Amino acid sequence: MNLPTSLKIVSNIFRSQTGMRFVHMSPILEKNQAGRYRTTPRKNFPLTYEMANPPHQIAHRKSWNSWNTSNILGGNRPSETAVEDLFIRKFIEGTWHALFLSEIIIKRQHNLIRIAGLVNRGVLPRKMYFLIGYTEELLSFWLQCVVKMEIQTVADKKDVIFKYI
Amino acid sequence: MNIPSLLRRRLYKVNILSRLVSTSKEEKIEIPYRINRGPTDILRALESTITRDTTAAHYKYHDDPYLIPMNNLAKRSYAMAQEAGRKAAHWVRSENPELFNHKECDPPIEAFFPKLVYDENSEVTEMDLLHVIERNHVSDAALINNLLKTKGVEIAPETKQSLLELLCYNNSEEFLNEAFIEERWFRQSSSNREKQRKTWKDGSLAEEIFNSIENPNAETYSAIIQGMAKFNQAARAYHLFEEAQNKGLILNVDSYNAIIKVINFLKEAYDMRWTFVINLLEQMKATGLKPNLETLNSVLYTLSNMGGSKIVKDFAVKTLREFKNLGIEPSLGTWYYLLIIFCKDRGPKSGILNNILNQIEHKQHEIYDISDTYFFVTAMDVARNHLNDISLGERVHKLLLFGNNYNLIGDSYKESIYYRHYFMLLISNLPIEEFMEKTYNHLVPNIYVPEPSVMKEVLQQIDLNGAIEYVPKIWSDMVVFNHTNRQDLVNLILTVMVENQPPTESDLVEKFCNIAWDIYTIIDAINEEKFNMIKFTGEILGKILTLVLRNGDFTKACDVFEKLDDKHNIIVGVPSFDSLSLFVDHCIANKSPSRAIKCIQYASDSGFPDILILGARLNEKLTLDESHLNQLSKFINLKIH
Repeated sequence: MNLPTSLKIVSNIFRSQTGMRFVHMSPILEKNQAGRYRTTPRKNFPLTYEMANPPHQIAHRKSWNSWNTSNILGGNRPSETAVEDLFIRKFIEGTWHALFLSEIIIKRQHNLIRIAGLVNRGVLPRKMYFLIGYTEELLSFWLQCVVKMEIQTVADKKDVIFKYI
Repeated sequence: MNIPSLLRRRLYKVNILSRLVSTSKEEKIEIPYRINRGPTDILRALESTITRDTTAAHYKYHDDPYLIPMNNLAKRSYAMAQEAGRKAAHWVRSENPELFNHKECDPPIEAFFPKLVYDENSEVTEMDLLHVIERNHVSDAALINNLLKTKGVEIAPETKQSLLELLCYNNSEEFLNEAFIEERWFRQSSSNREKQRKTWKDGSLAEEIFNSIENPNAETYSAIIQGMAKFNQAARAYHLFEEAQNKGLILNVDSYNAIIKVINFLKEAYDMRWTFVINLLEQMKATGLKPNLETLNSVLYTLSNMGGSKIVKDFAVKTLREFKNLGIEPSLGTWYYLLIIFCKDRGPKSGILNNILNQIEHKQHEIYDISDTYFFVTAMDVARNHLNDISLGERVHKLLLFGNNYNLIGDSYKESIYYRHYFMLLISNLPIEEFMEKTYNHLVPNIYVPEPSVMKEVLQQIDLNGAIEYVPKIWSDMVVFNHTNRQDLVNLILTVMVENQPPTESDLVEKFCNIAWDIYTIIDAINEEKFNMIKFTGEILGKILTLVLRNGDFTKACDVFEKLDDKHNIIVGVPSFDSLSLFVDHCIANKSPSRAIKCIQYASDSGFPDILILGARLNEKLTLDESHLNQLSKFINLKIH
């Protein structure tokens, strides 16, 4: 058996019937991208403090966005909690459109859910109260427990900007 | 004396003391019985240690500078807006009930689930009817009742009775959802206005059901009588009352109470009313019914509508004594009726409030009767308007703050009237410093926002006492409370500032100047086409002029004077001569003869007789050139001097 034929056989082993290759010979690029922001050419992309700190800084320089005990050993409803938190975040994004300037923090204690965050003073206080009432009531209908909002207002959008990249 | 020796001596004393106190007898230790605690007792105990924080807004508002309401309008609109949002959520749920059918909570909580919807095609049973009656859904109950009737289903008499009771209780109208507390709090108490009017719906479903019952028993009669009496259908209520009695039925105490409460509609003359009351009470006695607190309050209510003669007061006291002998403890509502019987506007002064307070002070009161919520506002009214007695007012206020008594304040309307009386009483009886430090700064704005009338009183007291150091504070409050569109208040604060001139070196001169300039810019910015808005008057501008000049701000003064001069034919009234004279002086000091001449001309046009003095002063202090002299001589004759 000469070399070209043996190579052919080996290459046939590594070839699936559909013609795909299974073995990668190049080194792996171990790059983490989630929760990190890329610099822009003009260095004018605003980041809040939370955005400026990558995920490995959680519990060191910043904190969690969801506070619950679902994922500890023997915790209740872990998957439901995750999905519900996602729902709450999407609901708030849509209802308080372009008003939340920070991440939406969801804290659960017993059957109480508290939603916190920084809000831009973009609408009148009266309308903000309307939104608070609407959000609390509708989410409590949906999640079937007491939902409370704990918002802090910010006079200017730029107040929450930590740095530009 | 050094410390060890002091300690030693103290120890010695303790030794002697313990030897004196100790007894040879064995003390028996009594272990107290275990007190059964409920699940929330600890929470209640903790809660009782907290009093209302006057430095923060009420907890229904968000603790954020942007979201804290600063005046009455904001307080109302923020709370109502939040409730409107909640109502919107309720609406979304009722429009899409099929989306909310998941059952996440365990155990199930009904308040989170959409309401069952009934319509003409629903398959209903008597159980459904009982279900909606239990939840006070009046319109659903009516619908289901109709459906059952068309289907020919016979309803049990007990169900029919509870349906009748539900309908009678609220005049066949839907209840306001209990969850909407803000609406209840801010709703103007319309019951007062409708008090004397018949609101019972004749021929309503309640009557229909009553008529459909073949052999109505005492309970049935009691329900319809109470319903009719509650909504002032007095004549028919009494008719049914007699009918039941003729049938030999024994009605319950509540229907007797209801009839006593509407006697005012049944009998015209006062003595007839009283004999009627006595008759009813006799009947109760004859049937062996024991009267209750409601009976006492109803009798006193009737008495309170019988004028202010001495005999009525005697009856009231006798009634109270009689019921006390029966062992019926009066509620705050009872005392409320006594207050309105004894303390009439036009009548002799009565110190009954003092006696009442002796009875109820330092106690926590519960609500037993709807009239209980009228007590505090009436007591404060009596303390202020009837007796003008500050110590009584303070005692009433102390009682209000005791325990959970604040729950008996009623609603926002009663609360604000209560505080209005309280403030008025304190302002006129306390030194202004004490009032401002202890009461005003304490309660305003989180507990109470003064109405314009109270603000006016405060300003008048400041004027009387010359306590002008409070003026800047009051002005900033007036701006926050939206009182700057009140002509009388703005005029008053300017008067206070002009008439109580601070010494030249104090910083108040500058502050007053700033306030005056604030007022000027506020009024100047107002669109003139707006109806019922504050407008410049000669008086206001004159005062602003004076205040600005006292601070030596000549450019601002010139602006004010130009406004005065330009709009001479629009602005009502003229400034005082003193302010014009002051302006001329400043013109002289600033070497501006043409402005001074303008001012003198304005004064001459306004018809002030003393302009000659101004002209002479100007001529004397400044060397005027030919043209100025010519202008001046057009309206005054300088040659005389």
